[in-house]
Amino acid sequence: MKLYAYCLVEDLDTLDVPVRGIDGAAVRLLKIDEFGVLVSDGESDAFPLTKESAVAHDTVVRSVFDRRTLLPFRFGSVVSEQQLRHYVATYKPALKKSLAHVRGCVQMDLKIIWQYTKPAAGPLPEEDRGPGTTFLEKKRRELLGDERQVAEKTELSNLLHKELGDLLRDEQIELQPSKTAVLAAVFHLIERANTARYRENVQEIRNKRPDLKIRLSGPWPPYSFVNIELEFKSQFGVS
Amino acid sequence: MSSPFDQIIVSEEWENSDVSLLETLDHVLNRGLVIAGEITISVADIDLIFLGLNVMVSSVETAQDLLRKRQTETIAE
Repeated sequence: MKLYAYCLVEDLDTLDVPVRGIDGAAVRLLKIDEFGVLVSDGESDAFPLTKESAVAHDTVVRSVFDRRTLLPFRFGSVVSEQQLRHYVATYKPALKKSLAHVRGCVQMDLKIIWQYTKPAAGPLPEEDRGPGTTFLEKKRRELLGDERQVAEKTELSNLLHKELGDLLRDEQIELQPSKTAVLAAVFHLIERANTARYRENVQEIRNKRPDLKIRLSGPWPPYSFVNIELEFKSQFGVS
Repeated sequence: MSSPFDQIIVSEEWENSDVSLLETLDHVLNRGLVIAGEITISVADIDLIFLGLNVMVSSVETAQDLLRKRQTETIAE
């Protein structure tokens, strides 16, 4: 018997409404210590990797998202009950810390396209380039690229914090730069009660900065703020 | 190749859809708590491949590319 795990929840003793998960399987609440885990049972390890399955995963997570604090598992988390219990026992302090971090919060996503106003650093002038020059030029490009990315991230963060700063509990920014623009994926953790204000403030940014193309989505379960494995590794030096 | 971990059947049903679906996929595939260290994916019942759970599985094409790469590496060995 295998379990498909959807999310770990606190303060939930029963599921009020029947929920269907991947492949239409009934979802049940498995209690492990003080946590609840939403799972569905399967006879084998296999399940269809389809968009319907992915949406079903998100639907199950959302079925308790508006009432409870939860940590979503990544899609495809099929385990035995023993593995799941071992996982919860091993990571219990980190799970509790993560739950405390996201309690009462939702995730809001911004996708921002930002056109460059300054051209990217070009190559050194064509001269007699030996292997040393080529190597140094490559290093220079890497360093300039890194510096530029740090500068862009800082500038974007400052801009967002000016309008949204008092609403943010946590923030992650991922940049995908190109020669002409930056595509930024920004994930914000905010208190659920501040969702409407957050939307209004994002509209303010749009009004002030029409050069930025901003797409807002949410509220999402806190998918981007539950990476406890990294915290565990950094805390205990496990790699 | 078999695995004690998850076996997922990749169907051919992935298709272009709206942005909200893509965002949902981005969240559930790339983020969230990771329990097991790896999963096994079966592409069209042909073969199985291992993927670290930090690998983005964005589409069946991605999985098939990985399968082709693995087959090439196997042949090379």
